[in-house]
Amino acid sequence: MRLPDRVTGLFLVGLGAAAAYGGWQLPPVPGQPVGPNVFPLVIGTGLALCGLAIAFGIGHSFEEEEELIPVEGGQPQPPTGKLYGLRALLPPALLLFYVGVADRLGFIITAALIVFVTSTALGARWKLSLPLALLAPISVHLIFSKLLRVPLPAGLLPMPW
Amino acid sequence: MLNTLIEAFALISTWEVIVSMLAASIYGLVIGSLPGLSATMATALLVPVTFYLSPIAAIATIVAASSMAIFSGDIPGALLRIPGTPASAAYADEAYAMTRKGEAELALGAGVWFSAVGGIAGTLSLMILAPPLAEIALSFSTFEYFWLALLGLMCATLVARSSPVKAIAGMFIGLLVSCIGIENPGGVPRFTFGITDLFGGIEPIPALVGVFAVAQVMRAMLTPEPPPIPRRKFGSIMAGQWRLTKKYHWQMTRGNIIGIIIGVLPGAGADMAAWVSYAMSKRFSKEPQKFGTGHVEGLVEAGASNNASIASGWVPSLLFGIPGDTIAAIAIGVLYMKGLNPGPTLFTEKASSMYAIYLMFIIANIIMIPFGIVMIRLASYVLRAPRSTVMPVIMLCCAVGSFAIGNNMFGVVTVATFGVIGYVMEENGYPVAAMVLGIVMGTMIEQSFVTSLIKSDASVLPFFERPIAAILAAMAIGALIWPVLVWVWRKLKRAPVPATSAR
Repeated sequence: MRLPDRVTGLFLVGLGAAAAYGGWQLPPVPGQPVGPNVFPLVIGTGLALCGLAIAFGIGHSFEEEEELIPVEGGQPQPPTGKLYGLRALLPPALLLFYVGVADRLGFIITAALIVFVTSTALGARWKLSLPLALLAPISVHLIFSKLLRVPLPAGLLPMPW
Repeated sequence: MLNTLIEAFALISTWEVIVSMLAASIYGLVIGSLPGLSATMATALLVPVTFYLSPIAAIATIVAASSMAIFSGDIPGALLRIPGTPASAAYADEAYAMTRKGEAELALGAGVWFSAVGGIAGTLSLMILAPPLAEIALSFSTFEYFWLALLGLMCATLVARSSPVKAIAGMFIGLLVSCIGIENPGGVPRFTFGITDLFGGIEPIPALVGVFAVAQVMRAMLTPEPPPIPRRKFGSIMAGQWRLTKKYHWQMTRGNIIGIIIGVLPGAGADMAAWVSYAMSKRFSKEPQKFGTGHVEGLVEAGASNNASIASGWVPSLLFGIPGDTIAAIAIGVLYMKGLNPGPTLFTEKASSMYAIYLMFIIANIIMIPFGIVMIRLASYVLRAPRSTVMPVIMLCCAVGSFAIGNNMFGVVTVATFGVIGYVMEENGYPVAAMVLGIVMGTMIEQSFVTSLIKSDASVLPFFERPIAAILAAMAIGALIWPVLVWVWRKLKRAPVPATSAR
């Protein structure tokens, strides 16, 4: 997901301008020179200026290329494909999945699905990911629900404790 | 003084504190030693647990876990050449070179021993620096607080190993995030887009968990698994450390001092301390040609430095609520939650709690030696845990932990969102630490800014009239325009070349 500086810079210009405009629209506190509108105005303007500077490549010379430490015996090359980069979106997608269904399915089932998918995506065989998907949710539930009393949703499969 | 000390001892000698400290130590050692799981992440995931502990026990877990994790990052650095935490990255090459020469014990022993020494030196600096600074800070008005907070943010951008413009942009993004909600001078909903969950604003802790934990799992999805560690038997780990201490005592002291200074600077943390100290050690060494071939000197200095910065990072946190680094940013959240609101009065009103914090730091750094030795011996087993078993558990902890912070699902949405934001920012060279500090300090900076403006009737002049405010202002503005100056300077130096060729 490495984007050109021009793209990220212009995005920040837009974000800054929107923030400044949004701040400007806020109602002032009657009888006072400054209110909730000042800070977003300042921040938005600053952000837009930074965005412009980035888009024009100012400060690029300071960036140090990240040194990749080569591993003995050659690094295994990651497979490259068009959809491969989208794998990175899996963790946040799984978290949103948790938000969506945890109340209905309950913690144990949702958590088991998340563990199974994450573990498989990272290259575990089912012999490893299946027992993990069984044990990890139960132990996390034990710690957080029993010990720390976090009200985790029970759903379809309530735990006996 | 003696009474407070006895009180502090009483505070920490309860079963709850002792057990949570030991458990947090083991947790910190394990998380720190696993490549890709940083000390900040270890601390952030610990926060939901601290909700259910007493104030002192909660701080004990943060202190123990962060100190241990910073040391423990040296282990995979030495054995695999993969730093366990970013703070060990500076000297992972050197330590690995020592392992290949058959000196793994010496490298790891130096890691434990000089980390512990550094941690204790950092604690001493905290004990010595904080009370007199608190006296000065008592006379600070909102003008000074505003400049101090701004200076803190600027320091964070200056020391980032990236483009300063991008770092400043990251800081602005963080400040913008802190604008969300109704907690502003007018009490009006700001940038909430009609979503009630946003009225309370973005909590810093779920944002931190997202940026440091979820983004890491996202990166793991795209990077190949690190190679498994070869099994090995270790000889005596502490042998020769006393000889090293005597031989390199000057380097060790220098490392401690640099670590303390960098720790006190807001935003610059252990990783920066290690890089600076390693570079310094090489620069001033009598045998710089040995660096990179498995020479212990740089390890001594940088190892002493990164742990010193952990404790001294608490100085601005406790005094002003301005985090010294990202770990301290989490600690501040915990302090507020536990009613120990940072500020200069903390040192007079809650003196025994402060002494308890010092004591816990010292104890954590002393038990680091035996725990560290055991951890090194067990490292071959712990480091065999495949990523595909560790990361799913991290995911669960992110989901449950962020839910536990407010007992609502919106926390989980925040974590997921900030995971994406953190991942995209890091990929494009925007330092996330600057954003995190912006989020943590946003409310404070806005409050002091707007209050100062109201006091001065919207005039800018009083911002510079008080002497300390003027000094702080000059420093903050200098930090802001420094990248511009360097840029102009470079342009000017390059400009004459085409001019002469045109002739």
